[in-house]
Amino acid sequence: MVTRKLAAVLGVFALVLAACGTGTTSQAPDGSAGSTDCTVAVSWNNFQQPRWAAADEPNIKGAVESAGGTYISADADLSSEQQLTDVSNLIGQGADVLILLAQDQNAVLPALQEAKDSGIPVIAYDRLIEDPDILYITFNNIGVGEAQAAAVLEEVPSGNYVLIKGDPGDPNASTFLPQGWDDAGLKEKVDSGEITILNGPEAGSGEWPADYGTYTDAWDTQTAQENMEAIIDAANADNQTIDAILAENDSTALGVVAALEAKNYGFPPLSGQDGDPANLNNVALGKQFVDVWKNANELGKAAGQAAIQLCEGTAMEDVAIDIDSSVAPLDGNSPTDFETPGGNTVKSLILQPTPLTAEDLDVVINAGWYATKDDICAGVTDADPGFEDCQ
Amino acid sequence: MTMTADATKGRTPLVEMRDIRVSYGGVHAVAGVSIDLYPGEIVGLVGGNGAGKSTLMKVLSGAVVADSGEIECHGEPAHIGNPRDAKAYGIETIYQNLALADNLDAPANVFLGREVTLGVGSLDDSAMENATREVMGRLNPNFRNFKSAVMSLSGGQRQSVAIARAVQFNARILIMDEPTAALGPAETAQVRNLVRQLKEEGLGIFLISHDIHDVYDLSDRISVMYHGRIVDTVRKEDVDTDSVLGMIILGKRPGEVTREELEALH
Amino acid sequence: MANVADTAPASGQSRAAAGLARVRGLLGATEVDVRLFGMLVALGVILLAFNILTEGRFFRPANMVTLAVQAIPVAILATGMVLVIVSRNIDLSVGSLTGIIAMTYAMLMTDWLPNVLGMGVDFPMRWLIALVLGICLGAAFGAVQGFIIAYIGVPSFVVTLGGLLSIRGAIWYFSNGAAVTGLDPTFQLIGGGARGSIGEMLTWAIGGIGCLAVIAGLWNGRRQRRRFGFPVRPIWAEITLGVLGCAAMLGLAAFANGNYLPPGLASEYAREHGITEPSGGLKVPAGFPLPIILLIGVTVVMAWIATRRRFGRYVYAYGGNPDAAELAGINTRLTILKTFVVMGILAALSAAVVSARLNGATLDIGNSYELYVIAAAVVGGTSFAGGIGTIPGAVLGAFVMQALSYGLSFMGVNSPGQNVVAGIVLILAVAFDTWNRRRAAR
Repeated sequence: MVTRKLAAVLGVFALVLAACGTGTTSQAPDGSAGSTDCTVAVSWNNFQQPRWAAADEPNIKGAVESAGGTYISADADLSSEQQLTDVSNLIGQGADVLILLAQDQNAVLPALQEAKDSGIPVIAYDRLIEDPDILYITFNNIGVGEAQAAAVLEEVPSGNYVLIKGDPGDPNASTFLPQGWDDAGLKEKVDSGEITILNGPEAGSGEWPADYGTYTDAWDTQTAQENMEAIIDAANADNQTIDAILAENDSTALGVVAALEAKNYGFPPLSGQDGDPANLNNVALGKQFVDVWKNANELGKAAGQAAIQLCEGTAMEDVAIDIDSSVAPLDGNSPTDFETPGGNTVKSLILQPTPLTAEDLDVVINAGWYATKDDICAGVTDADPGFEDCQ
Repeated sequence: MTMTADATKGRTPLVEMRDIRVSYGGVHAVAGVSIDLYPGEIVGLVGGNGAGKSTLMKVLSGAVVADSGEIECHGEPAHIGNPRDAKAYGIETIYQNLALADNLDAPANVFLGREVTLGVGSLDDSAMENATREVMGRLNPNFRNFKSAVMSLSGGQRQSVAIARAVQFNARILIMDEPTAALGPAETAQVRNLVRQLKEEGLGIFLISHDIHDVYDLSDRISVMYHGRIVDTVRKEDVDTDSVLGMIILGKRPGEVTREELEALH
Repeated sequence: MANVADTAPASGQSRAAAGLARVRGLLGATEVDVRLFGMLVALGVILLAFNILTEGRFFRPANMVTLAVQAIPVAILATGMVLVIVSRNIDLSVGSLTGIIAMTYAMLMTDWLPNVLGMGVDFPMRWLIALVLGICLGAAFGAVQGFIIAYIGVPSFVVTLGGLLSIRGAIWYFSNGAAVTGLDPTFQLIGGGARGSIGEMLTWAIGGIGCLAVIAGLWNGRRQRRRFGFPVRPIWAEITLGVLGCAAMLGLAAFANGNYLPPGLASEYAREHGITEPSGGLKVPAGFPLPIILLIGVTVVMAWIATRRRFGRYVYAYGGNPDAAELAGINTRLTILKTFVVMGILAALSAAVVSARLNGATLDIGNSYELYVIAAAVVGGTSFAGGIGTIPGAVLGAFVMQALSYGLSFMGVNSPGQNVVAGIVLILAVAFDTWNRRRAAR
């Protein structure tokens, strides 16, 4: 009897521990270059995705610690509620400045308010938060979309397109990337009839871009695979060929490739984003056409540097970052105004993405990205487009 | 036909329990009980709530392990650590709540834990159904529902299944805990006939019941328990229902009860 | 056995009620499991509805094969979940377990076997070694959880919830969260796909075996009853069931053979067999995909265990009345432990199909599977009260849920819409079940 109760208590205790968000803390090593007592807190929305641990975090941490600051963080594990708790905890741990990767741009507003009430400057990292007081540091997400569509449209200027979008709650998926696609000319071509969207209503009969394309909950690869398989079946049933596929990111693109392989469909030009190792490998193998890489190393550096400056009292518009010039904002190294879809004007540092096709793989191989040459070139033979860059 | 005291002398009891003790955290459910059972006899076990009758029988059926005491079966020391051990000694139990798996049919319940298998170890449902039909034919010829889950049977039919399970495996000792409590008059009469029939076949039966008249009618001997002890074990012909009632309620033998206490009972 | 004469209407009763009673009488004569039959009807209705909505584009062999293959990972797990739920437990860790084993397969084949153990990238039987290790891993996880539940007595909800969280967290450490791709080509066949079908001849063979099995089952059943003089089904019922069953088996085979190899592979086939391709391409029947064969095997074995083995009987007995099982001398703890070990093994099989289909593994494989698997079992007739549920029902339940999901995708309805529909179907199925059981109990 006693053993049972004890076991149950231990079980619940372990459960509670596991359920608490993961967090890391670090202390600046003694004798470091800078000296500041800034505590920089980062609220991740989904630390599980490889890029954050491999690229963003080390660089934020590096920038913070080399200035002598302290880095603390928490992971919301895709839960908006958890993120509210995380931000509270981080503030409670003495955060001086908050870098916030919003899980849901609306649900995060109370957390934002709490930070503002505590006098803590907030950097919206990678994902937009609709609020006039934040510093928005991100890649040019619209530019990413534009680069994706531009590369694919050049290959396939007319024909049947399939649009695979990401999580419907993410403004990148619903607004910014489709806007970029339109900037590259997608809407024009759809209106003129040169391009037909297979997974959407008849041209003109639905709302653009909302009704066109298939969303993928949580950007999940398997969901994208199943959706794509159904789309291929529907296209075959209508005797229509799929000429090109715009996938908004790499995890969905991976599912698309799996679906194409299962149906032995061949590989129409396909886009992606993030520079995930498996996808870069697919680019080398000819299964994915373009992967718009965002050198998150530099984004992390920028955020870390900006965080320290904000903490030390620098005004937002006077922040100055120092990063790789190929990635640096077109408008210069200090924040400029950005009009959000919600009508706010925010200070922003918008970094430049780097589109990669099979011929450009040497750029990423040489850039110290967490995808190594072995990852990118696995199984590549001389029949594959990435062969040359893999030598 | 009842057994006289002389007829039991010199015969080996089917079961002899000596000085059995069971306590749960300081409460003495069974506090040193000795009881025995001979072939072809019915021993009625009576007592108020919490007297310890069910617990004592659970020790015999293997559902409960006694803290101390000895059990002998057919004259040999017996170790009963779980229900399987009890069944190995030929002890079968019909529990008050019948202990049937409601979602399974009658054959499955009769053979539960003792299934008949084919060569490869698969269940031989047909053989089990056949055996169940046979045994049920003796107990309750009107029973027809061999394929439905027992949950859909009447109280009396469920009782038949429980009894069939008990007699199917050549029981020598049968424990019946309140067998007629949930039954109507017709079914009660059926069960009583069955009990007499089994007694004729030479089984020994422990019968727990709160119905004094039932016990008096069927039993050869009656053991009365009170607060975990045996007040007395008497032959039916030596007592009347009043004195039995007195033992149950007051915990005293007939000779020890005062006239005032006896009048207070009525 | 219902006597048809008993269902003749009394004067004044409506014709509809009489008709219904007669149908019930006929159904009773065939002794078909009404619940299962109802599920088949429901599946048929859903497929028909989608076919009408898409003007006939939906119900084609190629599409149905896609649908079936998509349903398999959940269906495999659902067969095991039936036993777990029947014995009054729950396993919330199946999704995470599938995920970690899938990642294990990926790491074994892309990294550990070649690099750590020195087996070359083209080492034959890599896939088999990975599969065996995966099954052992699944069984081990299941045994640990089962032990804590059965022998230490911690409720299964708590233990498997802990498993869900901790295992999902552990997957991250395998590859730091990155997707791992590039599995052994033989392993990939487990996922079906263009090359992973068994071809025309074998498909007909399986259809034929299925037909023979139906007939043999009916004949054997009749023989067993005769042996003891039990009442047998009327001859017309036996023949009808035989014909329908056989037709179903051969029909499925024919339908699978209506799915043709894609043009590229058909040309390859033509070259290999020295056939000149007609214009329009050679139509080479692909037949049953390998994962379907796996599912058939798993379903047959699990159903056999549930109904014809002592272990299965004890699972149902425990679910019906745990005390009765204990008093009958059944080793209930071992029985419960085994249900979780079986679940672990099935997770390894499900993970094989999933990772083979993806040609790799991601962090999120199996996310929320536990919900779909439980839904499939429940829609298929398994009750949380314990003691009630069938294996074929759960498999059908998985197919019903996937038919909805696939059909909606086919029509272009987005995932939020799909989830809404899935939730409604689950509630309707359980409500119908409960209503039906109450009616039967009266």
